[in-house]
Amino acid sequence: MTDISNIDKYTIPTQTNFWGHVRSIALKISIPLIVIVATIALWAGSLTLLDIPSILLPSPAMAFSAAVELVCDGVLFEHIVVSIKRLTSGYILAVALSLPAAFMLSQSVWAKRILNPTLEFLRQIPPLAMMPLLILWLGIGEAQKVGIIILACFFPIFLGALGGIAQCDPKLKEVGRISGLNNPQILWRIVLPSALPAIVIGLRIALGQGWRALVGAELVASAAGLGYMIVDAENLARTDIIVVGIIVIGILGLTSDWVARWLIVRFAPWVKIDEGPANA
Amino acid sequence: MLECKSLGKIYHVDGNDVHALSDINITLPTGSFTVLVGPSGCGKTTLLRAFAGLIEPTTGSIHRDIPPCSVISPSLQIGYVFQEPRLMPWLTVSQNIGFGLKNKTSKQDLNRRVADVLSMMGLERFAQARPDQLSGGMASRVGLARALVGNPDLLLLDEPFAALDAMTRRRLQGELTTIWMARKPTVVFVTHDVEEAVLLGDVVYRMHAGLITERYDINIPRPRDPTTEKITAMRRLILQGFENEEQPSLINK
Repeated sequence: MTDISNIDKYTIPTQTNFWGHVRSIALKISIPLIVIVATIALWAGSLTLLDIPSILLPSPAMAFSAAVELVCDGVLFEHIVVSIKRLTSGYILAVALSLPAAFMLSQSVWAKRILNPTLEFLRQIPPLAMMPLLILWLGIGEAQKVGIIILACFFPIFLGALGGIAQCDPKLKEVGRISGLNNPQILWRIVLPSALPAIVIGLRIALGQGWRALVGAELVASAAGLGYMIVDAENLARTDIIVVGIIVIGILGLTSDWVARWLIVRFAPWVKIDEGPANA
Repeated sequence: MLECKSLGKIYHVDGNDVHALSDINITLPTGSFTVLVGPSGCGKTTLLRAFAGLIEPTTGSIHRDIPPCSVISPSLQIGYVFQEPRLMPWLTVSQNIGFGLKNKTSKQDLNRRVADVLSMMGLERFAQARPDQLSGGMASRVGLARALVGNPDLLLLDEPFAALDAMTRRRLQGELTTIWMARKPTVVFVTHDVEEAVLLGDVVYRMHAGLITERYDINIPRPRDPTTEKITAMRRLILQGFENEEQPSLINK
């Protein structure tokens, strides 16, 4: 063996000392915790200092008691389940449509030329602008909510996949050709894994977009879900419930992104993910 | 046998015709060890890629008539070492090496073959490492292992040892000679190192500006020692050939 330069780099993870590890975890947790506490303090402080009536902005204590109330009578949980069910089914359908579409389009120059202008046009339209038409076509039931989520999630995933496929290194494809792989095999074993980082970014952006579109759809026409809970609270002048709804939506969005990132680290360790949120 | 008949390749670059290869006529017998030597841009890699079927020649033809002797597949088994390692970043070292054999042979056979080449390359400890954890020299050894693992009938090597330190290079030159003597695959080896060419080849073709300018038959028994008189004399002869070469332009407007 002549290369010893890399052995150190390779064994470093097992040599990290225990207290260093604890300290880095403590640092990771403590900073966000401090920021959250400070935000709540600022929120409570500004209410008393500026004398804001609670109908405009409830105090943290009021929001907390509203949250307890909503949790205890099970209402919050019901709305969350409805929203998550809608998001999951819409998201899965969007993935099932957009990934094969991207792969098929990438394989044909002519399909790309013909469909690209249409797709570029459709991409510019906010999903919520399609709401009136979707209500006419699909009614005001679950199909319409799921439809909105599909519209919101389709393009981030589709465009991410298309870009990733286009960026696949032709030199790696040559390795496949030399190895005697046919075109579908090259697509499956080289192009797909090499496009995965871009696909993953698309999937994460789509998740964020899906949440936004869902809550929007529930605000406009719905009888359940977190968006509906907020509108219903507005009609009853319950700003405390509105604040709870907003916080829950934020927490669920964060959690789903964390889960997505954990899945990436677990199953695709070569994909580099940035620290910041993807759904900016 | 591998045969080129008036083979030519023209690339169009910025409105100019670049003659990467012109009128190549050579025959490489099955089981021979051929070295293409020449400076950068002389067309060695293009010729190797044409042998591999990675590019279509502009003129002329290539006949690949090598009886497949491998048990793995009925078609011709090609091993190609690219100038860069070209490893899949999402696969471990072992998976990269076994890439071309996956689903073509049993899992046990694949594991055994991968373990064999890993130990030949001195990479056993890095079997589960990912490409971004390897040094440049290690990565190029993985590329070499990937080409050798399938016992190819046709082995095409594009400066495979260029990124290696002198000691590892010397050892792997020996390994390559041993593999070739044991199994007699048809080998085409591209290098710009004249000493390496003389150490390894049966036949050395000197290339310049897309042409084959000279053929040298190296009738020196193996194993070859780079310090012996015969090797140094042959090396001097080839180097003199390069020095006497005029420098025609690659671009014909």
